[in-house]
Amino acid sequence: MNGAATKKLALSHLWVAFAAFIVACFMGEYQVLERSGFIPALDSAPVYFASVSTHGVLMAFVLTIFFIMGFGYTIATASLKQPVWNMPLAWGGFWLALVGVVLAAVPLLTGKASVLYTFYPPIVAHAAFYIGATLLVVGSWVWCAIMLVMFSQWKTANPGQTVPLAMFATAANAMLWLWTSAGVALEVLFQLIPLSLGWIDTVDPGLARTLFAWTLHPIVYFWLIPAYTAFYVFVPKQAGGYLFSDEMARIAFIVLAVFALPIGFHHLYMDPEQASGWKLLHGIGTFVVALPTLVTGFTVIASLEIAGRLRGGKGLFGWILTLPWTNTMVLSVILALLMLIFGGFGGIVNASYAMNAMIHNTAWVPGHFHLIFGGTTIIMYFAIAYYLWPLLIGKALFSNTMAVTQLWLWFIGMAILTTPWHVLGLLGQPRRISSVVYNNLLTLAWKPYEFMMIFGGLILLGSACLFIYNLVKTQLNPTPEAVAGEIEFAEPIHAVTALPEYLNGLKLWNKVIAVLMAVSFGYPILQFFFMKTFGSSAWGY
Amino acid sequence: MDQMSEEDRKRILESSPVGTFALMSAVIGGMAVAWLFLYYGVFLPRG
Repeated sequence: MNGAATKKLALSHLWVAFAAFIVACFMGEYQVLERSGFIPALDSAPVYFASVSTHGVLMAFVLTIFFIMGFGYTIATASLKQPVWNMPLAWGGFWLALVGVVLAAVPLLTGKASVLYTFYPPIVAHAAFYIGATLLVVGSWVWCAIMLVMFSQWKTANPGQTVPLAMFATAANAMLWLWTSAGVALEVLFQLIPLSLGWIDTVDPGLARTLFAWTLHPIVYFWLIPAYTAFYVFVPKQAGGYLFSDEMARIAFIVLAVFALPIGFHHLYMDPEQASGWKLLHGIGTFVVALPTLVTGFTVIASLEIAGRLRGGKGLFGWILTLPWTNTMVLSVILALLMLIFGGFGGIVNASYAMNAMIHNTAWVPGHFHLIFGGTTIIMYFAIAYYLWPLLIGKALFSNTMAVTQLWLWFIGMAILTTPWHVLGLLGQPRRISSVVYNNLLTLAWKPYEFMMIFGGLILLGSACLFIYNLVKTQLNPTPEAVAGEIEFAEPIHAVTALPEYLNGLKLWNKVIAVLMAVSFGYPILQFFFMKTFGSSAWGY
Repeated sequence: MDQMSEEDRKRILESSPVGTFALMSAVIGGMAVAWLFLYYGVFLPRG
């Protein structure tokens, strides 16, 4: 696959990612227990919000960024068959990001950054939190630069040849992340850090929320693209078949990268600072970005169907039974797609301009994003880890049976956790609350759902512990079965010999994104400088 | 899989993924029905 140095680099990133993950899982279970009010000794709003903020930052920023960087280095070296460009720089990015995490962790864990992972002002955290988060993001930009340089160098060295699909997706994700993170970077650099350091007295929450909306939706696709990459480049091969269409995969990644960006105002439907016309424009874009997910669903299921039929499956659905259900990659994709169906439906409701009013700021929203992120995305991170670990350390996975059990538990736990969460939203339970103990009939009706969520969280926590245990045992196994294989990428049914540049490069799409962003965010941001606004005083720490 | 003839294999690779079309149709149809139920059955009655 790639040299020992690259394997060490990738493993270091992945271990940081999964260390953050397991800590965040314990916090998640504490939160659902605290919020239920079933154990009075746990009741503490300050501890709860410190925990929620840390849980969100660890899951949404630390786990994802480190995982995506580690996975990206592995994909780039394996698919392009060339070493990491500028290894010292790659380590520099890793250490910069890690220092950022440690710096942000101190105020988070001491309750001085209980601003949730969206950190909307005027609530303000200790400056160390914002500076730490900035270092984390800058570290990830180093990774983006390395991915795009490797992509570009390979194209220069192989003129006219088709960039491997896995690298095309990874480079598209690097481009997407550079665009995505720019919004929050502007907010943090020009608003939150100056506010937290006392350089400015007030902040404009409308501008801050607009800039965060720039980041808030495409970040979901930054997290999802590695999962989709595994869908396309690993799953068909692991299932014993072929990728249905390489071209459709590229189109899906392009549409994801382009249309994930100019649509963030569906998070602001209830906000007063943006006009309804802009919200409608972004709302329409939100439905457009559902298309590549449908294309992905079709292509991946078609690839599975081919594999199932090649394995002897007959009839309209008989091929499903002949799939290798004990293969962790295949099982994960099936469970991931199931969760994507329900999570995607929740997303369509969120994006529906009128109906959003029904579920806005209710428990429905965390139910939705836990299903998409904790469900579809994370279960594919597990599958990728199970696939890569033996190749990265040269030892067979400690227990495939344990891995399969863990994946099923994650799916069951996520279903039990998120279904009542959605119902609670429809029953009117607000999100971002530390207590539901108001003792009236409405909140008493929430109790059974709270109990179910605690149970679902416990299953998830058990599943997460099994996952980490399996990886640790694999790594520390003194008498392992040696593994010396390479990453195996799926072949398409019809080999791709030549592609038009728009399906093989990103320059055109980068320009398209620039135009769409100027159209969809240009005036909505500039308006804050055209009109007289009055900032809010900071409150918090 | 090993006993499959080259002819069968080729036929499968060139065949249309009818099962996928059926599954995707069911999923999209189900989503549309669920959305309509939420809109007309839950959202509008709340005023």
